[in-house]
Amino acid sequence: MTGLSTDYRRDREIRHFPLAVYVLVPLASLVLQAWLPRVLGRFTYFDLPLLVVLYFSLVRRDPIHGTLLGAVVGILQDALTQGAIGIHGVANTVCGFLAASIGIRFVVENALLRVVMNFVFTLLAGLLVVFVTGGLLGLEMRWNFLTQVLVAAGNALIGLVLFPLLDRLQGKD
Amino acid sequence: MESFFSRHRNLIVLLAVLLAQIIGLAVQVRRPARGMAAAAQTSNPDTMQRGDSRSVMLLRLWAADIVTPPERLFHAVDQEAVQLWSGYLDLVHLRAQNLQLQQTIDWLRLEQAMLSEDARQGQRLQSLLHFQQSYPGKTLAAQVIGTSGNLQSHLLFIDKGSADGVRTDMAVISADGIVGKVRDVFPHTAQVLMINDQTSGAGVILEKTRIRGILRGDADGRTEIVGILADSRIQPGEQVLTAGGDQIFPRGLAVGTVTGVVRDPDRSAFIDVILKPAALLDRLDEVLVLTDIQSQLPSALQSDLAQSQAEQGQAASAELAREQARRKAAEEMAERLPGWQQPVTPANAQGAGGTQPAAPPAPKPIPALHPDRFSPGYDAGSSTAPAQNSPGDAASKPTTEKPQNRSQL
Repeated sequence: MTGLSTDYRRDREIRHFPLAVYVLVPLASLVLQAWLPRVLGRFTYFDLPLLVVLYFSLVRRDPIHGTLLGAVVGILQDALTQGAIGIHGVANTVCGFLAASIGIRFVVENALLRVVMNFVFTLLAGLLVVFVTGGLLGLEMRWNFLTQVLVAAGNALIGLVLFPLLDRLQGKD
Repeated sequence: MESFFSRHRNLIVLLAVLLAQIIGLAVQVRRPARGMAAAAQTSNPDTMQRGDSRSVMLLRLWAADIVTPPERLFHAVDQEAVQLWSGYLDLVHLRAQNLQLQQTIDWLRLEQAMLSEDARQGQRLQSLLHFQQSYPGKTLAAQVIGTSGNLQSHLLFIDKGSADGVRTDMAVISADGIVGKVRDVFPHTAQVLMINDQTSGAGVILEKTRIRGILRGDADGRTEIVGILADSRIQPGEQVLTAGGDQIFPRGLAVGTVTGVVRDPDRSAFIDVILKPAALLDRLDEVLVLTDIQSQLPSALQSDLAQSQAEQGQAASAELAREQARRKAAEEMAERLPGWQQPVTPANAQGAGGTQPAAPPAPKPIPALHPDRFSPGYDAGSSTAPAQNSPGDAASKPTTEKPQNRSQL
């Protein structure tokens, strides 16, 4: 066991999913994100597409994959809004890249670590959205930090339940 | 060079993706600005909201096409699930809720009945108050609180007794007509014997025919007038009033309406007049007890009575003045014409000592020179002079003997 190289260990720890999971899970996250506010009202303190991006980035440990997945999911999120397309795309792209980069170096299996990472990356995504909207595009945007913290906390808690569920979807090597 | 790309592949991809998105954002942000400027020139606000390029619109369309079908499915499933849950599964408290609603309905029905009863009671009390205000005697309003509970005994219990001034044999009436009389008085209640009881009695009079009789009840609880001689003038529909001779009911109160006449089973020459009582004897709730029937009239009636008496006095004085003027003219005429006789009038007849007016003297016939049987006052048997016979005899006897004379002729 000690003779195993790092690349081999990384390849062993990379999760592989069927292609349908890569398509359907982000799609389901987008649909739920658009539908749940009808049920929960204003208590929609979560960002499911970002969670999905973070999960696949962490478990795939591939920054390009995380980058592209984050870009696609973010663009689809933007496409469902009235705002410019790309704002969430940039944020999710950066988060996906960073999450995958962290996943390369660390084994993120611990639940507490996942909670912290989800909280931090969700907060980062929110900050990036604010930066892109206000800083890059120069558009006026009302932003409440407490709301963003609540969204991050919500994502952290949901990730505790969602990540083990998504782990069950991985394919057999 | 190849190793640089392979070494920094991840970062290059990231930058490329970010750059592409930022360029796309820049294009999108610049296009609305141009759209706004064009809209400002054309004054078309619709142009500002359509600043997306065709590719962005296409992207939004794709996203919508991707997301909305599952959303629609979710919504339908959600609706069905809600219906399934609320209509079939979540029925835990349904029985209790149903029971509670049923109780609420029952309570509302009860409340509605109470309100209706209050309204009816208000109308009755209003009519009773109106009658009480217009009635000249003193009355005491009382509530009917019970009956005897016996079909043979038509009694009522009212909530007023001796403490309220009720005494025995006081008349009890309603706004429609008489009810009965107070039979027994207790401190706070009293017993009223209704007019349809067999032991009751009241003096009544028929309004048109002025026939008097005694009102009482029969075994069936009907009211009838007994002791009346058969009279064909009594017809159904005639009103019956109290006669006032029984010292209980004042005269003129409504008793009922004649509904039929039957022969008295005991006395063939008499009839019994069946009445429909004016008061609803079986549905009485409030009654009036006549505590004083000799009291003063109300002010309105007093003023009407005084005005009527004043008008009658004026008419009498005018008639007296006319009579005096006529008498004076007659006296003057008698002085100027000695043979003229003053016409007999009720006035001068009364003026002659108040005695009966003397009949005018009958004109005496001129006696015949040769009286025969055709002469007035001729008596064949006595052959007396007709002048000595009284006029009455002269008028009667010839008429009785005329047929004989004619047959003799």
